[in-house]
Amino acid sequence: MRGQGRRVRELTAALALAVIMLLGAACATTAEPASEESSTQAEAETVTAPAVRSRLETVRERGRLVCASLTDTPGFGYLDEAGNNVGFDIDLCRAVAAAVLGDPDAIEIRVITAAERGPVMQSGEVDLLVYVTTWTTSRDASWGNSVQTMFYDGQGFMVPKSLGVSSAYELAGAAVCVNTGTTSELNMADFFRQNRMEYNPKTFEEGQVAFEAYKSGACEVLTTDRSALTALRSSLENPDEHIILPETISEEPLGPMVPHGDEQWFDIVKTVMGILIYAEAYGINSTNVDEIAASDNVKAKRLLGTEGSFGQEELGLDQIVGQTVIKLVGNYGEIYERNLGPETGIDLPREGSRNALWSNAPCTDCPKGGQIYSQPLR
Amino acid sequence: MRLSLTYQGIPIWRHSRILSWTAQIVSGILVVAAVAFFLSNVSSAMVQRDIPFGFSFLNREYSTPISEHLLPYEESDTFAYAFLVAATNTLMVSVVGVILATMLGIIVGAVQLSGNWVISKVATVYVEVFRNVPLLVQLIFWYILLLGLPPVREGIILFNAIYLNNNAGLSFPWPEGQQRPGLWLLCVVLAIALGIVTKMLLERREERTGRPSCPWLGAIGVVIAGSFVAWLVWVAIGDAPYVMSVPEPAGRFGHPVGGYTISIELTALLVGLIIYTAAFIAEIVRGGLQSVSRGQGEASRSLGLGTMQTLRFVTFPQALRVIVPPMISQYLNLTKNSSLALAIGYADLTSVAKTMTQTAPAVTIFLIIMGIYLLYSLTYSLIGNLYNRHIQFTGG
Repeated sequence: MRGQGRRVRELTAALALAVIMLLGAACATTAEPASEESSTQAEAETVTAPAVRSRLETVRERGRLVCASLTDTPGFGYLDEAGNNVGFDIDLCRAVAAAVLGDPDAIEIRVITAAERGPVMQSGEVDLLVYVTTWTTSRDASWGNSVQTMFYDGQGFMVPKSLGVSSAYELAGAAVCVNTGTTSELNMADFFRQNRMEYNPKTFEEGQVAFEAYKSGACEVLTTDRSALTALRSSLENPDEHIILPETISEEPLGPMVPHGDEQWFDIVKTVMGILIYAEAYGINSTNVDEIAASDNVKAKRLLGTEGSFGQEELGLDQIVGQTVIKLVGNYGEIYERNLGPETGIDLPREGSRNALWSNAPCTDCPKGGQIYSQPLR
Repeated sequence: MRLSLTYQGIPIWRHSRILSWTAQIVSGILVVAAVAFFLSNVSSAMVQRDIPFGFSFLNREYSTPISEHLLPYEESDTFAYAFLVAATNTLMVSVVGVILATMLGIIVGAVQLSGNWVISKVATVYVEVFRNVPLLVQLIFWYILLLGLPPVREGIILFNAIYLNNNAGLSFPWPEGQQRPGLWLLCVVLAIALGIVTKMLLERREERTGRPSCPWLGAIGVVIAGSFVAWLVWVAIGDAPYVMSVPEPAGRFGHPVGGYTISIELTALLVGLIIYTAAFIAEIVRGGLQSVSRGQGEASRSLGLGTMQTLRFVTFPQALRVIVPPMISQYLNLTKNSSLALAIGYADLTSVAKTMTQTAPAVTIFLIIMGIYLLYSLTYSLIGNLYNRHIQFTGG
């Protein structure tokens, strides 16, 4: 009898468990869509949520603009002696901060490696990527939206003069240092493969380690964008002992990038870049803003917000956003001079290069020969 | 009513078996629900942000170089094969690292307990320094140290055959297959099998007759003789199975070509991993040896065994039972830490995978390398646990 009673109890228990499991399964299936909704909502509140809260609102609420950038490329993104993030790309971040927050210092620079750019953009955890990033089709497809080209570059090779190399086609058999996760890595592979040259690639996560390896002679060649090579060369002990080979093996249109999914934010950053470029074309700089705002130059006054509109309201920007940006950060030319000009020691000549303006307004048919150009501000 | 009062069992909410079952079921459901939640979160986020996913890229050409590879590799090979090449690199680092770190760790651990004050303090300082500095820092330190080697133009050359410089690394002569090397290796394997049989036969003879028959000598003799005869057959038919390839400077930059080359990146990685992991292993070994009761050692000494004999036959076998389980964790750590290779430019699995994410879906790539690391770790655990069971049963 006792044995039978236990068996009955066991059976009941098993049945009860089966019921609990079924209930659990039912709950799980009904709960799944609900949890998905709540999770997207939670995301919307914290990270990105185009529909619920725009990035502009998120940035304003936070009071800071978060930019992903670098610290290992003099001129573009590095640390000055006081430990501040400075450089051409950092100034683009400051310009956007000035436009949306009224304060160019309201920025937070998140220092990442080149290979982390994709994941950082995809997760939408930063507002802006200013990382000498080449605009490519697959990056547009899978990372985020490239805003526009702010610097035209191409990939080159730097070698010590003592090797007696004068052309990139003489590099067969060399050890080449490169950063991983960059277009340089891919272009280098294409170049050597196309020209059937054997070589020994050394790829590094940190640009600084790659540069160390080059300095010690462990690789004969360092390859990256020519502008960065020029900047790195200027930071060498004896820059004259190194040359940048004449061949440019790729197109590298560099510019900022925003995460996918918020068109208003994409438009805002594009507009800020336009302001920087047109301010230079109109002759507006950080010192003469007020003067020109009060002048009778119609186009300049529209840019500065004292007359007409170029869509500030629709974009969610201040009427006088142009004045704020130019006064606090300067125009494209000022940013270029400050970071890459002759006084910086890097000295990337601008006049006559692709990074000169296309033209000086109001004279639209007197081209200056450069490619720096933007959508008209109207 | 009366009937229910005569119920003799424990009420259902206090029945231990039911309680434990319920707890298990509930925790099982919670785990499944958590996994389902995270998976749905990932998939919805991936859809929302247009993150690509899929395995179709595996058959595409990788078309990017892998600087150092054990398996033959060309840029026209597929992604799938590149994964294999990179995974083999990591496996090699892991196996070599584990073997050498174990040897170093055991020596340092035993030395720490030695009576020699100076040596034991040196060992302690070694353990404390390398255990307490982050591995990444150590790897970069070793790498910068090796960068200090002269470049190839001023490099060190020994006997016109061994080259040491900071471009290529260490290049030395290495046999290169010439005529059916695989078949010859098979003959060597057969010779080894024959050697094992010889050893067993000689051992039995020794036991039976009591006359020393040198089983080891006989076995090794059989292996060498067998391989040599096979070699002679190869030469008689045509070419030798292997020919010695001696590195020679080639091209404009004079990098040695031929032989075998160990890069400074690989050396820095191995040295860093071995020295770091051996410090932990030394502590495990020291702890294990100290866990064996003092009386065991004293008894062994009084029976006339020397220090080394005591360690080898008495203390160490007993300490193994304490040593093996944490040792497996260290092997897993070494394998996983090898992914720091990308800081110093060695083409391990993680470093190659990171490059791949430029031209293929990152989520898929990371799932694949997670799978590979998991496979390695589980294999180590399996082998370790089997060995552990073996010593637990037979240990005295």
